[in-house]
Amino acid sequence: MRGPRRGRALRHTRLQVVLAVAAIAAAVALPVVLISVGGGVSAHELASLQNAGYQIVVSAAGLHGISHAHALAERILAVGSVSAASPVLSVDVDAYTTSGALSPVLAEGVIPAQFGPTLSPAERGLFPSPLPLGDPTDLRHFDNGSYSGPATYDVLISFPFASAEHVGTGDTLLLSPTTNRSLGTLYNVTGVFGVLPTLLGPTGAFLVLLPLSDLQTMTGFGPSASATVPDAADTVQVAVTGAVAVSPSALAVVRGSIQALVPLYSVTSLAQEAQQLESANAVLTGFYLALSSVGLTIGLLFLALVLLRRVEAEHRSIGIRRALGLPGWSIAGGIVREGLLLSVLGALTGILAGYLVVEGLATWATSTVQEAAALARFDPTVLAEIALGVAGLSLLASAVASRAALRLEIGEALR
Amino acid sequence: MNDAAPRPPELELANVSRTYFAGGAEEVRALRTLDLRIASGSFVSVEGPSGCGKTTMLNLVGLLDAPTSGEVRWDGHSVGGLSDRERARLRLRSVGFIFQRFYLLPTLTAQENVELPMRALGLPREDRTRRAAELLSEVGLSDRGRAFPHQLSGGEEQRVAVARALANQPGLLLADEPTGELDSGNTRAILDLLVRVRSARSATLLLVTHNPEVAARAGRHLTMRDGSVVRDVAGN
Repeated sequence: MRGPRRGRALRHTRLQVVLAVAAIAAAVALPVVLISVGGGVSAHELASLQNAGYQIVVSAAGLHGISHAHALAERILAVGSVSAASPVLSVDVDAYTTSGALSPVLAEGVIPAQFGPTLSPAERGLFPSPLPLGDPTDLRHFDNGSYSGPATYDVLISFPFASAEHVGTGDTLLLSPTTNRSLGTLYNVTGVFGVLPTLLGPTGAFLVLLPLSDLQTMTGFGPSASATVPDAADTVQVAVTGAVAVSPSALAVVRGSIQALVPLYSVTSLAQEAQQLESANAVLTGFYLALSSVGLTIGLLFLALVLLRRVEAEHRSIGIRRALGLPGWSIAGGIVREGLLLSVLGALTGILAGYLVVEGLATWATSTVQEAAALARFDPTVLAEIALGVAGLSLLASAVASRAALRLEIGEALR
Repeated sequence: MNDAAPRPPELELANVSRTYFAGGAEEVRALRTLDLRIASGSFVSVEGPSGCGKTTMLNLVGLLDAPTSGEVRWDGHSVGGLSDRERARLRLRSVGFIFQRFYLLPTLTAQENVELPMRALGLPREDRTRRAAELLSEVGLSDRGRAFPHQLSGGEEQRVAVARALANQPGLLLADEPTGELDSGNTRAILDLLVRVRSARSATLLLVTHNPEVAARAGRHLTMRDGSVVRDVAGN
């Protein structure tokens, strides 16, 4: 339909039209935001897993979860097809610059010579080579658990931290257990490394890397360095030889061998984690779509109402068409077209609104949300599926109105 | 579409009754056991007071409605068993309606209104555009094709309606008080037009009117009262 009457007819139902389009748009925007952000974060995590230089993770819950980390790494290295085993201890510590400024940082304690081979090529390029962290084997200070040897007090700092705190190679940094500056030790900054995009927020990029035994000593439970401290790590990252890395069955054999060594620890392959992540993402996507179906139902009810009002307002025109003998499909076609137009308009508005919401979150939300929103991935296939779903459902609303139009008594309509 | 116009049907109403709201308090017996035969190609006028069943009879003949009892026959075949779709198809191909209130679609131009039945019949755009222009020219509106109904006078609207009724070259023209809302000048013009197009096409014309001038020009004149034909006389 065209012409001035069309404008008038639409004005009569403008409010319903706006509400219907808005309801459909809201119902579409919700899954667009959730699926795009969730999918983006998931894809990022997945990429991180797939791009890691190690394939198996041995872990234990809680701080200092894996004991005898140095020895365990050696035992794992002895397992066939294992090319590297790097114990890692991650602890939040306080860093004080020479100006006295305090920054909470995430400290990672590593054995330099074992840490390097578990880096992916992309990560390896971010670090100075070889890692300037004193004793590559970390054994002189660790000294078979006595911690009696000389600590190196070398630390590598991340580029974001270096930039923010104006610290660089050659400077010193006081590192101490959180909120306990009196136990702090002065470290020499021996290098700066870059970081890959992270999901931990801006402070997450505030990383420092130091020898494992140094971090163990600093965060040990004893009052001084001479006290007994556990040889602890929270994970051991295990890299396998190239052929095994790409063979799920071979990887499973290696994983089983390591699990046999440490039956009380969790031993998982990153492929498993990736699979679990993908499964979780699929479940969440389904949940988001189910959630949005409530809004969509409301939108479609509004749409059906709009179309029924349209049939009511144009009952005479419909009666004339039917009296002239126009086939039912041509009458229903106009209604279906209008239903599709409104639903597609709602879907496009919803997709645009979802995009703008994500952009807004990436700009104005809290740092963690910002970072997650920045990773949002607008998958054209998913968006098209949502739009098609909306269009398909709008056919239901159109069918209700079309049925009403085709059941009009011609004589009544022309009276 | 075949250029040859369909042969005008011979119409027959056999013992036809039409009751609205049957059995209810508001029951209306619009037609009472009506028997009527209308020859192919004839011009029949129908008159009678409001509510006597004229429009009901037209609606039954034109397949817009179905009788409560009795049979409506086209060329001897009962149309009572036709489905809604078949009735619509028959209306589209064989019947041209002209209503008192014109009933042009307000959102279409005059040209588009005339093209509408041809479009439904699947006529190619070029053909229907050409034919609509010819029909508008025939009714004297060759320069008003792009006007919307609200931009036309009553007489012009009815002429467009006549052109639309002729679009698919129907054998049967049904006109329900086509001059009821027109002044005398336009009434005469529309009547002249109807008589002319009917005789040019040899179509059956069934015309409901209060106008004695119209009755005088018909070949047969029916007078109805209370749902029955009370007078049936031959005219010119």
